Amino acid sequence: MDFAWSDQQRELLNAVGRFASQQLNYDVIENDREGIFNHEAWKKCGSFGIQGLPVPTEHGGLGMDPLTTVAALERLGYACKDNGLLFSINAHLWTAVTPLVYNGSEAQKKKYLPGLCNGTLIGGNAMSEPNSGSDAFSLTTTAIKKGSRYILNGSKIFVTNGPIADLLVVFATVDKTRGTDGISAFLVEKNSPGMNVARKLEKMGLRTSPMAEVFFENCEVPEENLLGKEGGGAFLFTRSMTWERGCILASAVGSMQRLLETCIRYANERKQGGQSIGKYQLVASKIVDMKVRVESSRHMLYYYGWLSGHRKSVYLEAAMTKLHIADCWVKCSEDAIQIHGGYGYMTEYEVERELRDAIASKLYSGTSEIQRNIVASMLGL
Amino acid sequence: MKILVPFKSVPDPNDATFAGEAASASKSVINPFDEIAIEEALRIRERGEATEIVGVTIGAPSVDEQIRAALAMGVDRAIRIDDARALDPYAVARILRAVVEKEAPHVVIMGKQAVDDDSNQVGQILAGLLGWPQATFVSSIEFLDNKTRARCTRETDAGLEVVELDLPAIITTDLRLNEPRYVSLPGLIRARRKPIEVLTCDQVGVNVRPLTTVLAVARPPKRPAGTRVESVEELITKLKQEAKVI
Repeated sequence: MDFAWSDQQRELLNAVGRFASQQLNYDVIENDREGIFNHEAWKKCGSFGIQGLPVPTEHGGLGMDPLTTVAALERLGYACKDNGLLFSINAHLWTAVTPLVYNGSEAQKKKYLPGLCNGTLIGGNAMSEPNSGSDAFSLTTTAIKKGSRYILNGSKIFVTNGPIADLLVVFATVDKTRGTDGISAFLVEKNSPGMNVARKLEKMGLRTSPMAEVFFENCEVPEENLLGKEGGGAFLFTRSMTWERGCILASAVGSMQRLLETCIRYANERKQGGQSIGKYQLVASKIVDMKVRVESSRHMLYYYGWLSGHRKSVYLEAAMTKLHIADCWVKCSEDAIQIHGGYGYMTEYEVERELRDAIASKLYSGTSEIQRNIVASMLGL
Repeated sequence: MKILVPFKSVPDPNDATFAGEAASASKSVINPFDEIAIEEALRIRERGEATEIVGVTIGAPSVDEQIRAALAMGVDRAIRIDDARALDPYAVARILRAVVEKEAPHVVIMGKQAVDDDSNQVGQILAGLLGWPQATFVSSIEFLDNKTRARCTRETDAGLEVVELDLPAIITTDLRLNEPRYVSLPGLIRARRKPIEVLTCDQVGVNVRPLTTVLAVARPPKRPAGTRVESVEELITKLKQEAKVI
């Protein structure tokens, strides 16, 4: 196996790091406190090329392979401290952009992908409902065909990018009696009549990534906005979730690397009892654990990217990657606070925010329990 | 109009690694003042006053990453003079003169100085060698009389000085001229298709050797930690006897 980057990949990764560290790290503490989305940073990421990483060049993207894409997102997570912004980008990429790339008609791709790539449009999806979360396919939002339109009715919760999205991929059933086979996906534009983006949801972490409840009340969607086939929503969702699980925590690996370096620096600088605290085995041991978590996460991530790029099945690997990185990210953030002592608990040290941001990774894109269920089922259990 | 932009690869000023200790480990970037020069050339082209921007740098193949960054920003093509030696300003200016004679640009725009050695000499020496007019520390550029003249604002200690000069000329850039755009990934991919011409000093017909030698590079001495005094009297005594400042 070849673990070396090509010159071109290295150049690209360095460019991502330089861009992110210079352009994206302002007002992060204030925006986190106030729950403000950094729209300007989003646009910069778009013009820089982040949102187009995995999109074919003919649709305005860069056509990068999955391995290069996750490595670029890892570098982005290393250099950009705004995890909320990165979460919004991830939601956009894996729940709106990739479903369009794989299931969109030529007309749909032409209409939406260039804008979704260059930062002018923001995407997201609306799947979870108040009573269907992990059991996603038990959703009750309906889409009834009426002439050349579908009429959507129902409510969605935890819609990432909901308050800012220009385009949502909305899942609804065209016929409840058909069960999973009735689920279909629709491209719903902002300000569609009958779509109501309700209250913005306050969150523990990822506060710079806005989330909302969305209601559909006789919301009319033109039939050309059906994404994929009628009844093809469950397949589409499963495929986009596999992408999402594999890639969504790439930036977390970068965050962990940054935390690790912060902790090493602090452990060398901070002196107690006449020596650097890093000389105490209890502190050093924590940092070693962090290092092992970062490396194992990175290897799983790259392996997922490699497999995906070679068009091999990644259903199992995506779930394991997501499960492992989420665990590692939370533990690393917790250790980072412990190593920094009281300072780590203080907002200005920017360590506590990492823990608040990390915890959600065990919940979104399928909880860690759901990932374990997937792995268990793939092991024949 | 053709613009030549010489630029230098320097250790990343935002990277905390100390160059004297681990020069190879620290990341390199385009000298920030030269980046401003590149940006200005791009803006001149974007407003339709230039047709071609040629970048030139001197160094080993390792500087190709900075060359591609310049190409990614929008420079049309680049020349690398293959010379890995640590050259002083006079040697650099002589090489650049040979490149100017080969390329025959209407104007040369370059950083006022490089942030690694802060020499601030190459632009001036190059103007002297070529016998061209120069405007240094420039914060605005405007072309006049069908692009035969330029009006530049110079940032001097006495204030802003406006000068007019005939082209061809050398213009060196100051910080406030513009804010350079960042290299985008699509730009980086396009840059791979742009040509980099590699030439030796022999090929451009110049034979240089450094006139100065760097003997050592060292960190400034560490400032000792301060001490706390108990009273004003003690402070006055220390200022008188130890610091000897009053």
